Amino acid sequence: MDISLIFAQFLSGLSRGMMLFLIASGLSLIFGVMNILNFAHASLWLVGAYLCYTFWCLMQDYGFGMWVSIPLAALSLAAIGWVIEVVLIRRVYNRELPEQLLLTYGMILVISDLTKLIWGVEDKLITRPPLVAGPVFFFGMPFDSYFIFVILVGFAVAVGLWLFLKKTRYGHIVRAAVFSREMVSALGIPIPRIYTGVFVLGIFIAGLAGAVQAPIGSITLGMDMAVVIQAFCVVVIGGFGSLLGTFVGSIIVGEVYAFSILFWPQGALVLIFIVTAFILIVRPWGLFGTPMRA
Amino acid sequence: MKKLKLVVIVFSFFLLVGLGTLDSVVAAEPYHLGVDLAITGTGAMYCKDGVDAIKLAVEEINAQGGFLGNHPIKLFIRDTHTKPDVAVRGARDLILRDKVRCVLGTYSSACAVAIKPVCQEYKVLHIPAVSNSENITKINFSPYTYQVVPNSYMQAKAVVLGVAGLAKKKGWKNYVTIASDYEWGRSTQQNTVKLLKQFAPELKLKKEFWPPLGETQYTSYITAIMGQKPDFVIGSVASKDNVAWMKQAKAYGFFEKIPYPGSLISVSELIIQAKTLTRGLVGLCRAPFFVHMDIPMMANFVKNFKAKYNRYPSDWAVMEYDAVYALKQGIEKAGSIDTEKVRVALKGATIDTCRGRLFFRCIDNMLSCSSYIGVVADDPKYPFPIYHDVVEVKGPDSWRPEAEIVAARAAKK
Amino acid sequence: MKKYWWLGLIFIGALILPLVVGKFWVHVAIEILILGLFAVSFNMIFGYMGQLSFGHAAYYGVGAYATGMLMVKASVPLPICLVASMIAAGICALIFGYFCVRLTGIYFAILTLAFGQLMYYIIFQWYSFTGGDDGLQGIIPPDLLFSANAYYYFTLCIVAAALIVMWYISRSPFGYTMRAIRGNADRTRFIGINVRKYMLINFVVAAMFAGLAGGLLGPFNRSIAPDLCNWHQSGVPVFMTVIGGPLGFFGPMIGSVIYTFLMAFVTGFTEYWPLVIGLVIIFVVLFMPGGVLGLAEERVKIFRFKHMAGRVDESIHTENP
Repeated sequence: MDISLIFAQFLSGLSRGMMLFLIASGLSLIFGVMNILNFAHASLWLVGAYLCYTFWCLMQDYGFGMWVSIPLAALSLAAIGWVIEVVLIRRVYNRELPEQLLLTYGMILVISDLTKLIWGVEDKLITRPPLVAGPVFFFGMPFDSYFIFVILVGFAVAVGLWLFLKKTRYGHIVRAAVFSREMVSALGIPIPRIYTGVFVLGIFIAGLAGAVQAPIGSITLGMDMAVVIQAFCVVVIGGFGSLLGTFVGSIIVGEVYAFSILFWPQGALVLIFIVTAFILIVRPWGLFGTPMRA
Repeated sequence: MKKLKLVVIVFSFFLLVGLGTLDSVVAAEPYHLGVDLAITGTGAMYCKDGVDAIKLAVEEINAQGGFLGNHPIKLFIRDTHTKPDVAVRGARDLILRDKVRCVLGTYSSACAVAIKPVCQEYKVLHIPAVSNSENITKINFSPYTYQVVPNSYMQAKAVVLGVAGLAKKKGWKNYVTIASDYEWGRSTQQNTVKLLKQFAPELKLKKEFWPPLGETQYTSYITAIMGQKPDFVIGSVASKDNVAWMKQAKAYGFFEKIPYPGSLISVSELIIQAKTLTRGLVGLCRAPFFVHMDIPMMANFVKNFKAKYNRYPSDWAVMEYDAVYALKQGIEKAGSIDTEKVRVALKGATIDTCRGRLFFRCIDNMLSCSSYIGVVADDPKYPFPIYHDVVEVKGPDSWRPEAEIVAARAAKK
Repeated sequence: MKKYWWLGLIFIGALILPLVVGKFWVHVAIEILILGLFAVSFNMIFGYMGQLSFGHAAYYGVGAYATGMLMVKASVPLPICLVASMIAAGICALIFGYFCVRLTGIYFAILTLAFGQLMYYIIFQWYSFTGGDDGLQGIIPPDLLFSANAYYYFTLCIVAAALIVMWYISRSPFGYTMRAIRGNADRTRFIGINVRKYMLINFVVAAMFAGLAGGLLGPFNRSIAPDLCNWHQSGVPVFMTVIGGPLGFFGPMIGSVIYTFLMAFVTGFTEYWPLVIGLVIIFVVLFMPGGVLGLAEERVKIFRFKHMAGRVDESIHTENP
């Protein structure tokens, strides 16, 4: 086992982790602030990927097609997220946990079938622009150049969210709301508007994640189901509502996966579940989350 | 009293339901044909093509009055969601409610082996035309199941015969496998490794990789494999995941560095990946239409399929079309639509298919269909790459010897 | 006992069902019974204990595999297999539940989900033992129970017996302790009850009945697959309970009738069943939070059950104390 192999696996785990971070950060944000576990998050992520494909199809003849499609898809999905929040999510804020979970679970089914109706069952493929279609070389080992882009986007989102939460007034309000909804409300700040904003932001990130995923392989039905459980594990390990936790959690899951391929090829997912269960038992609020809130 | 009222209402509801669903007298005329395929789930794309081909076949046959000229075909389609228990429920629905006499299917292999005993129990014909696990025919034999797809053993042997020759020529010493971790991937990989040991014993298997079914990120596998520096790689990645795998591997320059012979690249993937597929790859497929355009049945089928759907048929379309026509010929040989007579007529029968004149082997009802190995290359006739230098490995040259099947069945007991 | 004469009527209706409807609907009825048992066992944790388990299918699947493997590999007679299924499911629940009952709310839900998926992956990956994703075929019920009607009566008896047992549990002091825990766990702890121990016992018993349901499924379908442990399968009893109403004992069973019936009906003419059931769930959650039973209870006086699961406080508002 030479160093270049370990480095290559490390990098590949990093890129997987970054993808997971993109998906999980929205999930974690929404749960942290609104206490709603959005089961349908990955299904919306998949819609983001399909949207990216649709935009790309419209702009196929232009070289910048893919680059423009990505933010467009994210914005469209954010708009869809806004509609969902107003029509559905808003009604269950004051409900019990089971009803909230069931609502988002029902949403998975509806969104999946609607996706099938709108885009059909065929796999969709986006051709990458030549800049990111081939490998780059680190120490002689080839590496998919597109993943450099993914890692950059992941870091950008992480930094962006961090700046938002730490430096902007809106971000401060959001962090305060994580701590105590009542206090924020008592200060005269309209909680419902905060919630809507946070949900839309979370879905925007999901759309960005989906659009970034689209050119990696193909866009297929059922992709969301494979990913949603991993996203949950990330959020559990890192801690709900904690940006740092989600970031660390995604890196952990990504690397565990990448390296377990070398030692226990069939056990990658089992391993991740064992880690997740372990964290839930020993420290349910995750590595960086705040201890259990009522 | 209110309580009694409510109970009476509920009771009447169920009574009405019961009466409404009493077995109606089955008209002897139409032939009910069932399709239990994955319209959603991982197999959706391939099954859609299959369903389209079935519809075309049914249309053609009904244009002449149906089976035997006076039994129009009525089609019933169920979605298995690529889940075995849903497949079983669907098959039972088809048999009990829709009274089908034959079930065409199905994806995945797990679904096919799950509905096999159901069809056997209700004495309904079962013709899988997409999934090809050997377990459909090798063990738990059902006399009602007729397989028209080259099974996983046949395909593996075809690959091995090709690869063994290549290995000798190029002096390859070791290899790595990557296979999707589910039944088809496992059985294909195991058969390939075992047969390679038989035909090219000097080759050494260095490491096995098992991405889960539905994997979308192959980076870690790609880097790990390249780190192993094998002489060649044998891939058994599920058709659907194959697209992602090949696209990502290509971005690493994988195929320029490491030979990747004999993986399943079906016609669907040739079409979908037309722009990105690496030319020069040696691939395997199950029923490529362009190889048999000299056969009138195939040429006709392609023409009609293209006219109706404005696209070329994939392997799955060809095989489902063959399945319907196999049924037709069985009925014609029996002279009746009675399932028992048709079943007996099909046993060991020789039939005309798009892929040529083939026959069903008695011991496992396996059609003597070929596996096809070729080199991916562009062709001016089609808007997507096809296979050139095709080697057609015939069914009887690649299927498992009868003695081994007998032994496998005895061991199962 | 006199109050429940209508139950007897339903039972008689169930007995004559196969004589009235076609074979297809008998199969649907068997499925309603099996899934109904699964859902009622789930409600022991949800309605009575107040916790949402999103991994109940793990025990359903374990039960199915216990029966399946014993029948196929060792030809053990079915009744013994069913007992084995219950024991196997119980043991799994003991191990998983030990950790789960330390948590509540969302964490309980996620941990049960994680364990459910863990079970799924274990069965999926251990293919040398379980057959993996190919599933297990060849689970044939004994000749006596081979026909649909015979299996229907068999299932009916077993499910009825199980329901009676669970009914008595819910009416026992143990059952009321569960309601107390649901109402306010801290207060219950203060009066000296070992909350965790009781939760664990409840969890295990619920799992055992889920295992029984799973054991009945194998011979019915003639095959089983790891999907039975998946979180989607775990969602099914949740749906049924919510549709039927978690606060009454028969809520989940009513939910099973509605769900299974609807599924058999809808899949007859469209493949978009998930869309339909998704919309139904959203509708029920938003506009009918108590499910069918809740709606009935509001509108129809006779449904004011005084032994409602969990509604310890609100019984003082009903007319029958």
